[in-house]
Amino acid sequence: MKIFAFSTARERAGFAELDLPVDPSETPRTILGRVAPQLPLAGLRAAIDCEYWDWDVPVGTASELAIIPPVSGG
Amino acid sequence: METHIEFTTQPIVIPAARASTRETGAEVEFRGIVRGTEQGRAIAGLDYEAYAPMAELQLRRILDQLHETWPCQAAWFIHRLGWVPVGEVSLYIRVLASHRESAFRFCMALIDLLKKDVPIWKLTSPPATRAEAGSPQKSK
Repeated sequence: MKIFAFSTARERAGFAELDLPVDPSETPRTILGRVAPQLPLAGLRAAIDCEYWDWDVPVGTASELAIIPPVSGG
Repeated sequence: METHIEFTTQPIVIPAARASTRETGAEVEFRGIVRGTEQGRAIAGLDYEAYAPMAELQLRRILDQLHETWPCQAAWFIHRLGWVPVGEVSLYIRVLASHRESAFRFCMALIDLLKKDVPIWKLTSPPATRAEAGSPQKSK
């Protein structure tokens, strides 16, 4: 699975993009706990294959997990 | 409804104006311009980043949803990415509708939802690295 960290989440996570094997039963929270345990999830949203996703729902066979900090387009 | 969504790292080129159909009676345009201050501090510009595939998906959903409430004939959404100096346009929206109320409200609601759910970010200084998924893209 590819894992993306955007904007302010990138510095706190310590990476912009990772590629790692993930079990379908894992959730965004458990995956982030493995790769960026120092990253507080408060205020962040998870997205799975471009859809907002609950931190505690298994990711299944998805190919992308994105860490979405508060958006500020415009 | 005809829709145009574009992300570009180049200065935004405003599309040529035209009515969508003989029923078009209103055209609303919005340009978002980078201000010289951010949270009270002087800045030289803003650095925009997007998770482009997701931003496009969310925008299409928002456009469809708004069309149900405020019917429009066409909508253009162009967002600049990368470094945008103060005074330049970072966002361009154009909405065509039969009546002004739909066009104005569609445009206002689109900007409100953009700032709530569309994965685009601005920083006052360029980041060192970016995820490849943030690459600009264009679709119509």
